[in-house]
Amino acid sequence: MALTVELPDLDLRDSVSLERPWITLVWDDPVNLMSYVSYVFRSYFGVPAAEAERLMLQVHNNGRAVVATGNREAMERHVQAMHGFGLWATLAKDDA
Amino acid sequence: MMPFQPGGDAPESGEPGPIVVSARFEAIEIDLLRLAATQLVDMLDAATTDPQSALTDPAFQRLLPDAYRDDPEAAAEFRRFTSDDLLAAKARNARSVLDTLNEAPGFDSPGFDSAGEELTDLDRTDLDLVHETEPEASVELDATETVAITLDAAAVQAWLRTLTDLRLTLAERLLIGPDGEIRLEGEEASFLGGLYDWLGMVQESLVYAIDV
Repeated sequence: MALTVELPDLDLRDSVSLERPWITLVWDDPVNLMSYVSYVFRSYFGVPAAEAERLMLQVHNNGRAVVATGNREAMERHVQAMHGFGLWATLAKDDA
Repeated sequence: MMPFQPGGDAPESGEPGPIVVSARFEAIEIDLLRLAATQLVDMLDAATTDPQSALTDPAFQRLLPDAYRDDPEAAAEFRRFTSDDLLAAKARNARSVLDTLNEAPGFDSPGFDSAGEELTDLDRTDLDLVHETEPEASVELDATETVAITLDAAAVQAWLRTLTDLRLTLAERLLIGPDGEIRLEGEEASFLGGLYDWLGMVQESLVYAIDV
């Protein structure tokens, strides 16, 4: 009798999370208004106003902020969306 | 300009959605904004037709920055897959702003044809040409006449993004560095700098109006 073991139906996107995650960074630029950056974080990422403000100030004061963490495809979608808003965003592997 | 505020007059029949904000602009301001948005559309359309030449325009480094800082190959690949969609979306937004301006009640597009003709003769990628049609030149416009601009939710998004793209492009023309200082000098710098600040004021009032 052949013994077969069926592979569970793995979602590859889940297994990616076992690896070092990717991050979406938004960088400080001299053009975008603080109120607008805060609005973008709130409306696109759906974070509460206080969190959006905190991230915006982090961008403003530290030159950048990590605004999302996850798999590479998701981070690329976020970066594209940020570029659509006119924000300076990049993605990278998380160093931490 | 009287700043954007929540709400507005009753929508005209056939409008796509309920008005969420409204503001009043002077006719000259409408003309200027239309001129700037038209040039942005021209610039984005030219970039879509000829992506290679667009890469030589530093304004596109601000409009479509590298998605990977330390990996030029990945950045180029990302650009290959996303730039068409992003440029198309940005052009769509700017056209939506133009639609709003052209449909504004009580505004019959003064100076539009002459401005449009002038535009096609000049460098398409150069927002400096706004300078050529400074408001002072449009003597037939009544500066005291104001025009109501009303935006629905979709138009708000188009306006926010187009105002950003215009300021990013102007920032490049004005040689604005990381410190925010304008490095371009001369009469042109003062006019473009004024336009840059004014667009920022319009955007700020729009953000505050929807943030209630």
